[in-house]
Amino acid sequence: MSSSHQVEQGHHPSFKQYVLVAAILFLITIVEFFAIYPNPDQIGAAKIPILVILSAIKFAIVIMFYMHLKFDNRMFTVFFLAGLTLAFAAGIAVLAMFSALGGGPRAFASANAVPYVEDEHGAESAKPSAILVPTVPPPSDTTPTESKAPDVAPTSAPPVEEKPSGGSAATASIEIGTNGDALEFSLAALSAASGAQVTLTFSNGSSVNQHNWVLVKTGTKDAVAAAGTGAGPGAGWLPAEDGRVLAASGLLNPGATEQVSFTAPAPGTYQFVCTFPGHNFTMFGDFTVK
Amino acid sequence: MAHAAEHAIEETTTGLNHRKMLMWIFLGSDCMFFAALIATYMVYRGQSISGPYPNDIISVPITTISTFVLLCSSFAMVQALAATNRNDQKGIRIWLLATAFLGAIFIGFQIYEFNAFKNEDLTLGANLFGATFFTLTGFHGAHVTVGIIWLLGMFVVAMKGRLGPATALDVELVGLYWHFVDIVWIIIFTLLYLIAGFDTGPTPGSGS
Repeated sequence: MSSSHQVEQGHHPSFKQYVLVAAILFLITIVEFFAIYPNPDQIGAAKIPILVILSAIKFAIVIMFYMHLKFDNRMFTVFFLAGLTLAFAAGIAVLAMFSALGGGPRAFASANAVPYVEDEHGAESAKPSAILVPTVPPPSDTTPTESKAPDVAPTSAPPVEEKPSGGSAATASIEIGTNGDALEFSLAALSAASGAQVTLTFSNGSSVNQHNWVLVKTGTKDAVAAAGTGAGPGAGWLPAEDGRVLAASGLLNPGATEQVSFTAPAPGTYQFVCTFPGHNFTMFGDFTVK
Repeated sequence: MAHAAEHAIEETTTGLNHRKMLMWIFLGSDCMFFAALIATYMVYRGQSISGPYPNDIISVPITTISTFVLLCSSFAMVQALAATNRNDQKGIRIWLLATAFLGAIFIGFQIYEFNAFKNEDLTLGANLFGATFFTLTGFHGAHVTVGIIWLLGMFVVAMKGRLGPATALDVELVGLYWHFVDIVWIIIFTLLYLIAGFDTGPTPGSGS
């Protein structure tokens, strides 16, 4: 084919046809816009298929008319569609791979997280990871409580049986573990009577992850965990002298068990959480004091 | 580029103009480049564990306007090629400049948007949304910027009166690139704005 543009020239759309194509593209864009505006859910479940089809139509119109594939040598179409097909296949493969890994990449990453050891990476880990900065909204499923500052000092107790002194205070014995290697406690809710001497036995049932059990004021689990990340592994991922922390176990290695003794605070709802970085998003529960 | 060669019969093994073939192969490979970034965005969609989230900051009406601007620029581009084919020197200059100008307006919208997002604390390192959003739209903006520079270069050539039917392929190639940038935006606009632009953060305690 000699100087191809000369040959094709007669086949290019006319000015009128170009205007028509532009008008169709504009019209489709307007339709797309009003499909989701002002209410993004106004057309319901049909939204995504409709928008994808409309944009595919626009895509096809541009490459057929503006890029002249409809009038040009078919080899150009083949070259382009080959790349486009590979691109589409690669994109689908990536999405399929992550969905085959069981949910999102974040769930996969947290379930397979390897403890971060500062020494191996030098001093660069001094500041907490940006994603853990406490901008996370507090869970809305916990009811606000009128709790005044609970009158209990955090006690990180060694694994020692602590008998209640005297007979006046009630005692409570609680056992909690983890759901195997999942980043979850075995119980989603615990409770105790106010003033009771609680002995909580925490067993880390994971075979790979370190965990702790930390009782905090309601709504502060993510903030405390973020502060714990800042405190670093040397502090057991737990902020020191933090008023939001009411009781805490140490950081337990896989398979370890520890008892925590504390006096149940004023009536209200509290939270318990594992403050190992990243675990707080799935590993927490409500602690109700009656 | 040898103008003489444009007039002569080009002997190629494929019977196709090699420059045009190269452009189409490049565009096919660029599809894969953007597919990687788009797939990354879709994989990490809704995975940010801290804000800002798309629903907090994305303004679909404003981006719809900039999408119109880019569609207009594609229309100007085909007019520039049509003017070249009919050797309308004034038309070539006006439409090439109009295309570059509309592209620059689109970039202006993007700079405004990026700046507004930054002021809302969405940066490349803020969360997964910021990282994937800025990487994808930033590379698209870089493509548009390259296109504007290319168009302005062609405008300079046009001012010297060196564009016409014999060199129409030069204009056609920049046109192919420009329309490609337009179709990539068609996809980005649909996925990141119309579909994912209203995503909110994770439901607290949902665990994912």
